[in-house]
Amino acid sequence: MALLSEQDRQTVRGHLAAIQHPVKLLLFTQTIGAPETALIAKQVLDEVTSLNDLVSLEEVNFVLDRDRAEQYGVGHIPAVVLLTGNEDTRMRFLGAPAGYEFMSLIEAVILAGTSDSGLAPESRALIAREVTAPLDIQVFVTPT
Amino acid sequence: MARESPLIRATCVEATEFMDLSRKFRVTGVPKTIVNGSTEILGALPEDMFVRSVVGLPEDGSPGDGQA
Repeated sequence: MALLSEQDRQTVRGHLAAIQHPVKLLLFTQTIGAPETALIAKQVLDEVTSLNDLVSLEEVNFVLDRDRAEQYGVGHIPAVVLLTGNEDTRMRFLGAPAGYEFMSLIEAVILAGTSDSGLAPESRALIAREVTAPLDIQVFVTPT
Repeated sequence: MARESPLIRATCVEATEFMDLSRKFRVTGVPKTIVNGSTEILGALPEDMFVRSVVGLPEDGSPGDGQA
């Protein structure tokens, strides 16, 4: 089932054209007793992967594949982990990336698939200078 | 920011789906950013202020923008 109109699909396809490297979306979910939001997340990600050949989706069973959940620090589902090739971009989405978060997901996919963070030179310099220990950033949002 | 440093992990959390996390971090408005489980940044800040806040520097004397 298509979530996006044909016009929106064209728009998103245009944005995703910036991608230069393969991006893999790991969707952590479970087969039995998955929350409805996991099904929505799957639909959303299927739609995104259908719009660019460099973007692929792999479902990871949160219950059976504990090692990978641990590897990527995934403690809740649905969760989406973005990889560039097989390298962790350390960008994640917790919950279905629908509503406003859909465009955040598209931006994150583009960031993962390009070499440019899009940040101002001053921001890059600040991060290079100040970040000397792990920083875990959680941004709480709502879809509407 | 995660693209700029291998030390940075960035997670976008859908607050209404994860009420346990929202309660834990007392999320009463969005966007709300939590750094290393403690530092709180309320509202959407301009990039320079946001980056400064995340790395633990003062927001540079800008007026409070703490509404959620």
